[in-house]
Amino acid sequence: MIRIPQNTPAAEAIATLREADGYFITNTARDLSQSDYKNRILLHTDLLAARAREAAGYFSLEITGGASIHVDMLRKQVDPFLKLELLRKQMPKTMFQTLCRGTNLFGYRPYPQNVIRLTVREFARYVDVWRTFDFLNHVPNMQAVFEEVALAGKINEPCICFSTGPEHTDSYYVGKVAEILAVTGPDIILCIKNHGGLGTPRRIGQLVDALKQRHPDLVIHYHGHNTDGNDIGRITEAVLNGAKIVDASDHAFTGFYGPPPVLTVIQTLKEYGRTAIGINEEAVIETSDTIRDQRRYYAQFESQIKGFQPTVQIHKLPGGAMGSSLEQAAKGGFLDRMPDILHKELPRVQKDLGNYWSVTPGSQILWTTAVANVLDGERYANPSGDLKNLLLGKYGPFPFYKPADWIYRKAFGPDWKQIVEAEAGMPGVEDIDIEEERMALAAKLGTEPTERQLVLYLQHPNDAVDFFKFEEEFGKSYVLPPAIFFREGGFSLGERLTFKDHTGKEHVIEIGPIQKTELGETNVYLNVDHDQRLYLFEAEVQTGVATAVKLTKEDIAELAGQGDVRAPFAGTICAVSVEIGDEVAAGDQLAVIEAMKMQTPVVSEVAGIVNAVSVKIGQTLQAGDRIVKIDCHED
Amino acid sequence: MKKRILVANRGEIAIRLIRAIQELDYEAIAIYETPDKNSRHLRLADEAIWIGDGPRKDYLDVEKIIGTALRSNVTAIHPGYGFLAENPNLARACENAGLIFIGPPCDVIENLGSKVMARKIMAEAGIAMVPGTENLPAGAKGLEVAMEFVARHGFPIMLKATAGGGGRGIRRIENEAELREQYLIARAEAKAAFNDDSVYLEKVVLNPKHVEVQILADKSGNTVHLGTRDCSIQRRNQKLVEIAPAFQISEELREEICRTAVRAAKASGYFNAGTVEFLLDKDNTYYFMEINTRLQVEHTVTEMITGIDIVRSQINLAMGHDLDFRQEDVRTRGHAIEMRINAEDPQNNFMPEGGKTISVYRSPGGYGVRLDGFCYQGFTIPEVYDSLLVKLTVFGWSWKETVDRLRRCLSNYVITGPKTTIPFYLNLVNDPDFQRGVFDTSYLETHEHLFQYKEDNSEVNKLARLIAEIHYRGENRYAK
Repeated sequence: MIRIPQNTPAAEAIATLREADGYFITNTARDLSQSDYKNRILLHTDLLAARAREAAGYFSLEITGGASIHVDMLRKQVDPFLKLELLRKQMPKTMFQTLCRGTNLFGYRPYPQNVIRLTVREFARYVDVWRTFDFLNHVPNMQAVFEEVALAGKINEPCICFSTGPEHTDSYYVGKVAEILAVTGPDIILCIKNHGGLGTPRRIGQLVDALKQRHPDLVIHYHGHNTDGNDIGRITEAVLNGAKIVDASDHAFTGFYGPPPVLTVIQTLKEYGRTAIGINEEAVIETSDTIRDQRRYYAQFESQIKGFQPTVQIHKLPGGAMGSSLEQAAKGGFLDRMPDILHKELPRVQKDLGNYWSVTPGSQILWTTAVANVLDGERYANPSGDLKNLLLGKYGPFPFYKPADWIYRKAFGPDWKQIVEAEAGMPGVEDIDIEEERMALAAKLGTEPTERQLVLYLQHPNDAVDFFKFEEEFGKSYVLPPAIFFREGGFSLGERLTFKDHTGKEHVIEIGPIQKTELGETNVYLNVDHDQRLYLFEAEVQTGVATAVKLTKEDIAELAGQGDVRAPFAGTICAVSVEIGDEVAAGDQLAVIEAMKMQTPVVSEVAGIVNAVSVKIGQTLQAGDRIVKIDCHED
Repeated sequence: MKKRILVANRGEIAIRLIRAIQELDYEAIAIYETPDKNSRHLRLADEAIWIGDGPRKDYLDVEKIIGTALRSNVTAIHPGYGFLAENPNLARACENAGLIFIGPPCDVIENLGSKVMARKIMAEAGIAMVPGTENLPAGAKGLEVAMEFVARHGFPIMLKATAGGGGRGIRRIENEAELREQYLIARAEAKAAFNDDSVYLEKVVLNPKHVEVQILADKSGNTVHLGTRDCSIQRRNQKLVEIAPAFQISEELREEICRTAVRAAKASGYFNAGTVEFLLDKDNTYYFMEINTRLQVEHTVTEMITGIDIVRSQINLAMGHDLDFRQEDVRTRGHAIEMRINAEDPQNNFMPEGGKTISVYRSPGGYGVRLDGFCYQGFTIPEVYDSLLVKLTVFGWSWKETVDRLRRCLSNYVITGPKTTIPFYLNLVNDPDFQRGVFDTSYLETHEHLFQYKEDNSEVNKLARLIAEIHYRGENRYAK
């Protein structure tokens, strides 16, 4: 039985892979969590699974990266570094794998070079295999990550993002791989990143074969999703044609949009005489038996739409974005428009915008554009800031062809040619002063931040600070099981909750009565380690939801023309660019509003002086909420 | 019919007195003002009598208290500490009404209550005192006398109201300009506060220890001491932590101070329980400060190390019994520390937290732990009285054992509702200087870090707060 334990030098690991007779399996627990549970699988559950997963003998456990760094802090209240540290204690041999968005790291837009390098260095302490991609397959966007991973002595796994359509030929991908190898050298794992689970088994087999024909020594890692229910077929063809590693996860948690079950992969390929190297089938089964009863606590995060979606071959949304897209549709009340959006508009938008790869952040641009096109009743009427950046080539060049002129005209107005001429191209993000950021964070925390805290802050400044403050107030809550952390509808009177805190000390909390006082405060009684405790909650101030007048798009536009700037759609304020008293000209940026990770600048339509700023960073707005008020200059 | 004793006080000390009275098989009669109507001492007494709406008016009304006592057929009155305890008028009124006052005779209270008289008595007995003046003459002559004193002893000096006490009516003067500026103000304030504008000067002993000796004296001339206490840890001259015996001083010095205390008590014709207070400077020179003619808050630490019930002794003495032990029978062993758990916010200049309701009250127990308190779960702390909730007194064989026990008790003490001094004390017991027993009256000023703590900061309480919030909202809003 072969195993490549963590800390094996990269070249040695690659050599073992090349020579191996059979295939390895990566357990993509993170991708499963992201695709089928909106990234909410808790560290608590991963720790429960750790011992059996370690024994299962995977090539690697993909457990960090993608959107998880952000969601770990934002929704799971766990330090992404601490998560790796604790899992490493339980899993000393298994390599940990990440998914890195190249220049966009674990976020949605390009980071400065020095931030990329610092971040990779810090995560490389725990992460052995670095799967790196760029949604435009633009190799220079991944170069800084490649270099730092190599410097850290870890394994580079560059991706070719895969899609279907007339442009997506074998020769295109073979050429792209040559381009990657020219940068990285031969000792890499090449990932075919099929994030949508697109193409037939036959198509994947052909692609693997074509790559192996050209590069016989290339170690290929096939990554797919089971959205159409046929990823086992694609995996089988990939392995039969020479892929050395494939992705799957634990059957107790497999759903519709993520990876298929590990065990099914093993059973299927056994029929073809292919051995899953290093795998202990009993431990694979034991993992699922261990965590099966936890699944019910995650039900609230499973997709609104159940069942496989073979129509992914038409709309091409990646598995990792299915859950959040459907959630947005449900929240926005347009679930009924989904057939139009997914099956008609999204394929059109994809063709319009150059048939690139629908994966972060490109998938969000396609999705929000398609949604806006359908809901607005007019195509490209309200281009997001990120769509404009895409059109200007700020993420990288279009791989096959540029969108048509009329789309540019819609996005930038009649002067679009001048605008494109002046602004097109990749700006190159300038290095930031990291020491200055460290001081800014120290000021926010009131203490000297750790290196890890700084790295997390550089990824997601506002959310990282919120998380640090959460920990200070509520402690290390990753010790709580999903049955507590995700409890819906409160606990029952007299319910006993037992858990160990992060130091290993056992605690018991008994739920006592809830009382409302005459002042409208609520008293919650808990018996904490046999001491009666009282927790007081002030009466919530009702924000003026009931009194708010619903403004139409036309109202909002008209008000904007008078200097009364309102949110054009629901979202979160991620930057405020003006202060009271500032002089602004028409076209000046006032604030930036974010929805579905896509940022849209709110610009002034008038010249004047800012006389009110009604928003703060991090504030959630409904369409029509006031952002800024400007006193217009008299003409 | 049982003899009845009236408890002319409130709060924890009323309960302390009631316990001793009932143990002696007397009946305890409590009195109360309206704001105290839910006080626990009413329930423990054999009878509780309402004496008025107060606040702090009826408890101070000698005539009303004597009248109540006579109507209730009591034999004796115990004044506790504070209120009328050191007011000679109550002692005198008792004498006149044929009631027993549990304390020294009124003329002793009167003499020792006057700083000037007290100094005179001690001077005659040859007891060392902090250099000071007699009452300063009125007008410009007073300033002249003051300047002569300063010429001999230098600044800083204390300008004290003769009728003040308990930390009130005292101001520290650093230089001549301040003296000139403060002199008249001090007189005016003394007049307003104590209806007596007499003031005098005292040399300042820099950062002394506050050491005091517990005295018991019977009418047959048997005056014994029960050893020393160190009350150096104070804020604004109000004691917070008291220990017995005084620590980190030699046995010889301790003995000498105790003998001096007995001499001082005898010189003043003392009877019943009292406390002789000294300042002890860096060179181990000690100065007589004053005699407190009452039961002290901190008497508990002395009881812990001697085994002698001071309140029971007080009552027996007052009832005409002589002490049933001699000085050589008194043995002290181990260490005791008392902490005054107050409803105050140490981080906000010890601002009282009166008016708040105690929502949770869980006290520690076990070997060597004594609690003298009066609050309970659901009790609303009256805003009009002092903020002492409970005295936590622990005993231990060694100093370290005592501090360890104290830490254990403080970490298990749960009082929610008002802020208390508990988290501050937890910092204190973890302070290396306190652990070594090194502290003087400047301790709080020089240990600013003691004030840095977070309320309710244990990991389980943080997590419990999150669980409470999930329960309250019906969802975890930090996971949405």
